[in-house]
Amino acid sequence: MPEVTVYTTSTCPWCTKLKNYLNEEGISFIEVNVGADPEAARRMMKLTGQRSVPVTTVADQVIIGYDPERIRAALE
Amino acid sequence: MSGAEYEVMIIGAGPAGMTAALYCRRKGLHTLILSKDFGGQANWTTVVENYMGFMEIDGPELMRRFKEQLPGENLTMLEDEAIAFRAEDGHFLVEGKESGAHRGKAVIVATGKRPKKLNVPGEDSLRGKGVSYCSTCDAPLFRAAEVAVVGGGNSGVQAVLDLLAVGARTVYLVTDMEITADPVLAEQIQNHPQVRIYPYSRVVAVHGEKLVTGITVRLEQNETEEELAVEGLFIEIGLEPNSEIFPELWKNQRGEIVVDCHCRTSSSGVFAAGDVTNLPEKQIIIAAGEGAKAAITAWEYVTKVGALQASAAI
Repeated sequence: MPEVTVYTTSTCPWCTKLKNYLNEEGISFIEVNVGADPEAARRMMKLTGQRSVPVTTVADQVIIGYDPERIRAALE
Repeated sequence: MSGAEYEVMIIGAGPAGMTAALYCRRKGLHTLILSKDFGGQANWTTVVENYMGFMEIDGPELMRRFKEQLPGENLTMLEDEAIAFRAEDGHFLVEGKESGAHRGKAVIVATGKRPKKLNVPGEDSLRGKGVSYCSTCDAPLFRAAEVAVVGGGNSGVQAVLDLLAVGARTVYLVTDMEITADPVLAEQIQNHPQVRIYPYSRVVAVHGEKLVTGITVRLEQNETEEELAVEGLFIEIGLEPNSEIFPELWKNQRGEIVVDCHCRTSSSGVFAAGDVTNLPEKQIIIAAGEGAKAAITAWEYVTKVGALQASAAI
């Protein structure tokens, strides 16, 4: 299965919903809390072009926001 | 079209829609609940402290528990966006973006609201690149940054406070009137050294290529414009109802679907509940109660129509 990384902040309700979804579906993922780590935030912005969370990467695909459909499609 | 005809189709799955679904299922009604997003606006809420039974719970967690309570006989749950709705031959058709047409005897509209947009150049293209509608999500990404907030109500002032809390350098608050937030909130920013307030002003453009680099603010009182170099723009100017696919239903000036105290709309067989309606006070607990009421009224309607059809067939 391709590596899934979720960029979050600790106060973000959509990030919580996304993590709940991935856990319910049994999709393992790495969480990067960009709110707590400015260097990680810069990396996320460079990699994804986004200054907003949640952002998910599935291998080299970037999925913006809470979008289970696109995550499912990227994993197929 | 899917083969089954539902007795009730619920469009939207926030607190109102999901509560309606539970009540319909428990009434034994063959029910569809269709929504692009189970949880709706409650998913945007960080902490809920006024839903009975919970001292404190995250909005998404509360909605996860609502959803967990739903599955059971007679209920079909579809995560899909409703894109069209019409009445046809005494029945109703709801068109799902992915799932196609669904047919039912009654409909409960519980589509909620969404953040209002400014509708200015740059807003769409820079969304997620500095333009945000969720300060609780994105404020931590603006540490040590110059940022602007649009909106002088509670949400706008709360966004300013969220940004100050994470260490934003300067926060510009642009509001088309004076600040209208509750005094307890407004007092916290009015003389704050890192906050500059632009009353009677509007953001007329957002600038930037890959990320936001600035905004243009029009100061209405002296009819001038000012460029502000900011990295972020948080838009907190209220909500608008998701009611566009129901043009035939009566609505008020805000576009909210008009309902009576039984959640009946202007169209027989169509009921509405929650924040999409003209009911005052948009709260999770009120939306849930309205969803329950709409389901009971829909059940009475379906039962009555069924009895009439049966007697006509004799």
